[in-house]
Amino acid sequence: MSNRMNKYLSDSLLKQESERQGAELWGKLIKRPTFSFAVFAVVMILIQALSKAGLIGSSFVNAVGSTLIFCIVGLGFCLLLGYSALASLGTAGFIAIGSYSAYYCLAEWGLTIGIGFIVAILFAVVIGIAVGYISLRIEGIYLAIVTLGISEIIKELLSALCDTIKIKGTQITLLGIESIKLKTDVIYYGIVVILFILMFVTQNLMNSPTGRAMLAMKNSTSAAQAFGVSLMKYRLMAFTISIIYASIAGFMYMLYIRYVSNSMGNLFTLSMSLNVLGAVIIGGMKSIWGTIGGMFIIYGIDQMFLQDIPFFNENPTFITLFCGILVIVVVMFYPGGLAQLALELKYKLASRKQKIKEGIYGKDLG
Amino acid sequence: MAKILDKNHSNHTKLVKLRQSYDWLSEELIGLTEIYESKKQKELNKFIASANKKLEKSAFLACDKEGYAQSELEAKLQKYDVRAYMSQRKINHSAVKAIFKAVAAGEDYSAVLEKRSAEMKALNEKRAKYIAALESKKQAFLAKNNVTDTAPYDALKAELDAQYSAKKKELDEKYGAKQAAHAAKLEAKRSKISAQIAELKKNSPAAYTLPDDVLLEVKGLKMYFGGLKAVDDLNFTVKKGEIFGLIGPNGAGKTTVFNCITQFYKPTGGEIHFATKDKEVISLTDFEVHDIVLQGISRTFQNIEVVKEVSVLDNLLIAATRHYSSNLFVQMLHLPLLRREERMITARADKILNYMDLYSYRDRLAWGLPYGVLKRIEIARALMCNPQLIILDEPAAGLNESETKDLAALINKIRTELGCTILLVEHDMSLVMNICDHICAISFGRKLADGTPAEVQASKEVQEAYLGVGGE
Repeated sequence: MSNRMNKYLSDSLLKQESERQGAELWGKLIKRPTFSFAVFAVVMILIQALSKAGLIGSSFVNAVGSTLIFCIVGLGFCLLLGYSALASLGTAGFIAIGSYSAYYCLAEWGLTIGIGFIVAILFAVVIGIAVGYISLRIEGIYLAIVTLGISEIIKELLSALCDTIKIKGTQITLLGIESIKLKTDVIYYGIVVILFILMFVTQNLMNSPTGRAMLAMKNSTSAAQAFGVSLMKYRLMAFTISIIYASIAGFMYMLYIRYVSNSMGNLFTLSMSLNVLGAVIIGGMKSIWGTIGGMFIIYGIDQMFLQDIPFFNENPTFITLFCGILVIVVVMFYPGGLAQLALELKYKLASRKQKIKEGIYGKDLG
Repeated sequence: MAKILDKNHSNHTKLVKLRQSYDWLSEELIGLTEIYESKKQKELNKFIASANKKLEKSAFLACDKEGYAQSELEAKLQKYDVRAYMSQRKINHSAVKAIFKAVAAGEDYSAVLEKRSAEMKALNEKRAKYIAALESKKQAFLAKNNVTDTAPYDALKAELDAQYSAKKKELDEKYGAKQAAHAAKLEAKRSKISAQIAELKKNSPAAYTLPDDVLLEVKGLKMYFGGLKAVDDLNFTVKKGEIFGLIGPNGAGKTTVFNCITQFYKPTGGEIHFATKDKEVISLTDFEVHDIVLQGISRTFQNIEVVKEVSVLDNLLIAATRHYSSNLFVQMLHLPLLRREERMITARADKILNYMDLYSYRDRLAWGLPYGVLKRIEIARALMCNPQLIILDEPAAGLNESETKDLAALINKIRTELGCTILLVEHDMSLVMNICDHICAISFGRKLADGTPAEVQASKEVQEAYLGVGGE
């Protein structure tokens, strides 16, 4: 390049700068996590819309819907396990709280969805604080055992109260107006919207003083305490938030599936809690996208794809086997979960892009 | 529980909160100039950019017509080349594909090569044609503007200069007024708070008094672990602004003393009194371990306890967790209050990182940083909470000689420039004897000697504790 050219370039640097700033503004918007969450929500809504148009099978959409419900649980678990290092095996019991509040509020007492939703959250807060205050003095595997026991107690109590819970379509009303009945597809949209809001909230919490305090607590309790982090307060916070998420998920599950039988099915059991734990570990404990990816692998793959394959359809236990092998492989090779894999791929792509740029402009400019 | 319900205690909690918001407002007031200056500069930069854009062409026309034309040409050519590169790649790719196909089918692929070279040749011809076109355009431009005339440039520049100074004056006035109004608002708030502090102090009589120059007083401190007397009846006082060293052989209970002061252990007996910023004397044993940092005491750890999975900056922000006033709801939605606090605390962290020579590590993960850097991060983190007393637990452990020297200089600098009192435990006697103003030597939880470094060195008990009892 000639000297003149260099001079011209340096003189018009300001011009380029302003152009670059314009591009950066757009780039910043795209890079915002909220933008990607919104894209995800739109895609999920499109799936339902396409199924209405008859392009996608309804069983596929149902599978996506129930997976999204578990994604809500996973987000809370992400804060609990990835940020506060508290392992809970009581997720199933906490989901049951939400489901039973939905059943009692809507089917038994005839309340509206909004009130039912608030009741579910209130129950979660009360139980979260009560259980947390007793059990959060211990950590690690002991906490997991305590939560498991509490979850079993909750489940047994609830199933003794009412074994089979069922909501009729006519009982799901908005604002108490009989004529406005919410069909399953509207509930699906509701699930997507709630998931989007919770993703936004979780992302914000992770990047706030609270999230940082939780990370500090996870890494070194003594350093965290020395800098003013009250262990009990933040543990209780993480625990209660995760229970609220689980309760919301249980509520939406009841509205979406509308039928749970404790004696027949095996819904609110240890295997559900373990599945949630496994999904969060597969996806990456500290990453929202990782958690959602993990949920889609554990709950999504078998219901969406594998069930259509004749071999898996005939031998449903092989689906569990497949998921088990996947967990082993991921934990062995990518202990940080799928989030770690994605990060590595991203670096690889970036270095490849750099090479192409160098090919065009030469090494110093690229 | 009874202590928490105590009236003095609740008054003290109020006082700490008020003091915190007072400090906060003072910090905000200091940072105000910077904020408005940067806002003003942003607008000015915008103006300068647009002015330069206007000037650019006429400047080139005035002094270097040929250069301007040439650079225009080269810029266009570069853009063309980028596109040409892509089509070249396309040609190559399709050629490779075709060759693979031909080889697989067992055919002759020389035709493909010929086709490729023909295409390349066409591309080169096209480029030559484009260059010729640009060249002729350039010549036409030069022929049209062959008279050198700097008058239009000068006129434009003078006009823009006048505009610039006018704009600057306008902005100065605008932002000056804004800043003054903002400062007055903050000042009013601050004076209100200071009045409240005075009121509160008047109402809460001192339960215990310390001499004016004493910061920390440990009196009859006992810490028993079952039958083991780790600390037994220990007394010492730390004066304001001094570097106090606590020494002793291994297992003498030095770290236990620290843990008692910061309430990691609740002492079995004895009293620890501390004079806060508001000259209020508090008994530290009344507080929970996570409330100690609010009183103005921060500490470092013997084995580094930096959070390794977040950046160095975030490590410093963690130390300021209690300085945020935004609640969970604000944090969930990232409302403006949190963003403002985040900005201010980040500015404070940046200042401290610069002070500690750590700014180059700001956005790096703490994972895998060198040991000396981690040590400095620990001290930086302790500085984040505006402490009065910094407790350093073996700061020189694991450092080499030159690093220890740097550390001594750093500790002295912190003491003199930031006015912090420093209490340290150390095994490295050269460090302790060099920088400490006052030393307390303990062994098996009991005090052996207390005084200046020379006095402690001369003490017979200390020598015996370190070297053993020897026959004369």
